[in-house]
Amino acid sequence: MADLLLDSNIRIWVFLPIVVITFLVGIIRHYVTILLSSDKKSDLQQVADSHALMRSRILRENGKYIPKDSFLVRKSFFNHEEKGFFNVEKREAQVKNPMTDPSMMTDMMKGNVTNVLPMIVIGGWINWAFSGFLTTKVPFPLTLRFKPMLQRGVELQSLDASWVSSASWYFLNVFGLRSMYTLILGQDNAADQTRMMQEQMSGSAMMAPPDPMKAFKAEWEALEITNHDWLLDGVEEELTGGIIQPETIYIKNKFT
Amino acid sequence: MATTIAVRTRKSRRADTVAYSEMALRQNASILEYCRTSMACLGGATAGILGLTGLYGFAFYFITSFLFSVMVLIKAGSRWNNYFVSRKILFTNGFLGGLFTYVLSWTFLYGMVHVY
Repeated sequence: MADLLLDSNIRIWVFLPIVVITFLVGIIRHYVTILLSSDKKSDLQQVADSHALMRSRILRENGKYIPKDSFLVRKSFFNHEEKGFFNVEKREAQVKNPMTDPSMMTDMMKGNVTNVLPMIVIGGWINWAFSGFLTTKVPFPLTLRFKPMLQRGVELQSLDASWVSSASWYFLNVFGLRSMYTLILGQDNAADQTRMMQEQMSGSAMMAPPDPMKAFKAEWEALEITNHDWLLDGVEEELTGGIIQPETIYIKNKFT
Repeated sequence: MATTIAVRTRKSRRADTVAYSEMALRQNASILEYCRTSMACLGGATAGILGLTGLYGFAFYFITSFLFSVMVLIKAGSRWNNYFVSRKILFTNGFLGGLFTYVLSWTFLYGMVHVY
């Protein structure tokens, strides 16, 4: 089957180390990202604004579960013509220049350090240490177009396209192990996700909109066209197991 | 008149609206994704050790993925409506992402076992 015989030392000293290195570097990067991550600072005004927007959005989404007068009270708090929150509050747009704000600079640099730098360093190191090996063969036939992708570092014209060189095996691992990380770091990743969800629920990830007035206007419009649609109609009958009042039976009998 | 006393069990006008909790749905979807990734990984390992090549390997992925969906459907039983909005996401969710995982572990174990 194999028209080309590879030394089995390659398997032990090239093929496996690349997988292990890629995998461990991914895990280290995960933890370094957690270590370096910093909480975003935002002032009181921004937090209050984003919470108001969040409350209005929650009202739009879940207003159908509260009684109509409660809904209208909340809606008029935001949208009353004279006293509504979105009509009264005036904010000035604040534009941040990322070059002058040092915290954003550090954030960008941290992102680069954790994402780009390991990619370059480890990739370069693997290219240097393991260059020129054919490591494996993909178990399905591929067209010639894939040759430069899968056989980087080994330019042989007559070689079948399904052989994979060491550098390309590294890249395959980098892209393919992503879902494995969610399996293995599942606990941590899940924690991250729920933390992000909590942030979305509570503070819109503390991300203040760049122009509060524009966001207020948009939210005002969206809330203005929202009507109350009472969804819990008949919930008492659901709860009590469908026992209906006698007059309902009477009415039904009369009309059938 | 005895025949006309047909007792309705519940009001029919709002019987079809079901309220879903968004967080719980997302949680279910992520668990489903987790299971599918594990399934793709195990399926890839199996295919690699068996030494399947070419279209047989891809067919094996489709079979395992379909079997997985059917198993989840059986597990959910007739009350699947409590957990998912539609049955279609059981079959389509994470299908392509699983394919990538499958191909990687398939290639890895095929290379380990059959190439050298």
